[in-house]
Amino acid sequence: MSTTTSTAEPMIRLEGLTKVFPGQKKPAVESLDMDIPAGEIVVLVGPSGCGKTTTMRLINRLIEPTSGRIILEGEDVTDVNPDKLRRRIGYVIQQVGLFPHQTISDNIATVPKMLGWDSPRIKSRVDELLSMVGLEPATYRERYPKHLSGGQRQRAGVARALSADPPVMLMDEPFGAIDPITRDRLQNEFLRLQETIRKTIIFVTHDIDEAIKMGDRIAILREGSAIAQYDTPERILSAPTDDFVADFIGAGASLKRLNLSRVRDIALVDWPTAGTNSSRAEVLAALRASDKGAVLILDEQRRPVRWISGRDLGREDEPIAEAGHLPEAIIQPNATLADALNEMLKSRVGCAIVVDQSGAYQGTVDFATVSGEIQDMRRDARERSRAEAEGIHAEGSVNG
Amino acid sequence: MTWPAGVDPGTTIGGGTAVFRRPRPTALGYLGLPLVLLAVCAVLFLWVGQQELGSIERRVLTPARLSSAFVEHMALTILSTVFVILIAIPLGILLTRPAARAIVPPVIALANIGQAVPSIGILVLLALYWAIGFWPAIVALVIYSNLPVLRNTMVGLQQVDASTIEAGRGMGMTKAAALRKIEMPLAIPVILAGVRTALVINVGTAALATFVSAGGLGEIINAGITSSRPTITLVGSVLTACLALLIDHIGGIAEGRLSPKGL
Repeated sequence: MSTTTSTAEPMIRLEGLTKVFPGQKKPAVESLDMDIPAGEIVVLVGPSGCGKTTTMRLINRLIEPTSGRIILEGEDVTDVNPDKLRRRIGYVIQQVGLFPHQTISDNIATVPKMLGWDSPRIKSRVDELLSMVGLEPATYRERYPKHLSGGQRQRAGVARALSADPPVMLMDEPFGAIDPITRDRLQNEFLRLQETIRKTIIFVTHDIDEAIKMGDRIAILREGSAIAQYDTPERILSAPTDDFVADFIGAGASLKRLNLSRVRDIALVDWPTAGTNSSRAEVLAALRASDKGAVLILDEQRRPVRWISGRDLGREDEPIAEAGHLPEAIIQPNATLADALNEMLKSRVGCAIVVDQSGAYQGTVDFATVSGEIQDMRRDARERSRAEAEGIHAEGSVNG
Repeated sequence: MTWPAGVDPGTTIGGGTAVFRRPRPTALGYLGLPLVLLAVCAVLFLWVGQQELGSIERRVLTPARLSSAFVEHMALTILSTVFVILIAIPLGILLTRPAARAIVPPVIALANIGQAVPSIGILVLLALYWAIGFWPAIVALVIYSNLPVLRNTMVGLQQVDASTIEAGRGMGMTKAAALRKIEMPLAIPVILAGVRTALVINVGTAALATFVSAGGLGEIINAGITSSRPTITLVGSVLTACLALLIDHIGGIAEGRLSPKGL
């Protein structure tokens, strides 16, 4: 998770950024100050009309600010040539905006061509990007956008935004117009891609769940692009600063919070286990030695094969490997606690079995673990908020 | 880490922003109509050859006179359309820029008047107050056929998806580059349809140019009418019709050829 104590220079700094559209009294964006750290995904989220898209367009100056400064990589870019500035910033929009009269490869080559790259370099970059976003270069290079599905177009759009390897990307509801299943897949793939490319990304959405999923930090904005809370998803969910944030997160903050913790980060619960060639007596002994109601039978590779309860052991005629019932609710360590909880609800034994990549048993997660985890998170968030408040207070008294 | 190529998110082929699309014509598609027109002319030629021709017919229906009228007609049509393209397309581009919003209504009104006034009226007015001959006829044709090209240029540019332009601008295209590389290519099919309309209007209206002594096939038709020689009128009319169909056909081919792929 991101550190809040990073002292490194922010990739983007917004200072008193204000936009008043002609003919409107109220500013669409009012005196916004914001630091966007390098290599993170910062999600701007808020109700429609709060100015989040305007804020994003102010950064690449598709909309010129009325006042305030934009600092990119330490350089004041408020007054530089906007067209040249935009070539340094990737841009992805909901409608993708691929040029329908150009092939996918020409679309992706747009910025490199403007920057005057030579054609072998452009060609190899296009192929590299196509493979990076999962579009087979030989198949898709010469296709036109209309031959691609919505999800494929959005991938091509991401490849195009990455073409000149910009340090910063702006993404305006990039997965907004895609069906939920594809959206989920694209989100996951994008997060995996981001692990390697480590771009500084400003991501606009109106969907708090998407914000929680995608963001290293979330800025919840209210009208006039005023920051209601700018923090990590964990702390926004656990300790919303005010009613506006709490209302915006909506019901089920604790459940959403579970999406942020992974099974590998929590302590697993041990269950009694036995091998497939164990005798009934051995299984019974294992069962009696624990406070649980069932024993998990593992094969030679330690993969779970059966659950056996005390009652199942009564039926002498069955071999151990066929007694009891098949284990359900098997998850991997990278599953979220929400996944674990969901699996657990389906399990007769009331816990989810955690296995590693090869399927070998690691431990289990049960209800007590999950609820304990939720309480820990809440307490941590409360303590951190309190510590921070005291810190600010102390600082204030020194200055005063 | 890559996005796995194996798992494509669906294979639905979206219609997207596609303008309706004609299939690319085959060789027969290109040559079919010209061959039919040639056959019609051949039949006409044979039929005229079998008629007993009087002195007037013999004087008018000479290869030299027919071909010069034909060439004049072509020149009137093509030259006027070229001027229309040179005037109406830049004007249409200008009028779709945000800065020009205020002057759009008067310009469109003017273009509308140009087309609403009967073509013969424009011709006669120009002849009365300026001159007769080839150039006044060209001016009249240009005034008369400006509107379709102007209107289609504007509509063509306005129908370009705003998000496509925004994507281009957002990547650092200058306004001029966005116009050249995005807006114009995407507007071309609509603009060409307007040019084709202008061509067809001009080839028809050029038949009236004879009334201001500008020549053309109208002269043959008129000679037939004034001298009550239906054979001459028939030859002039059939040639005019064949030329109109041929020019429309060539316009159609150009439309298909010049429109960008992928739409």
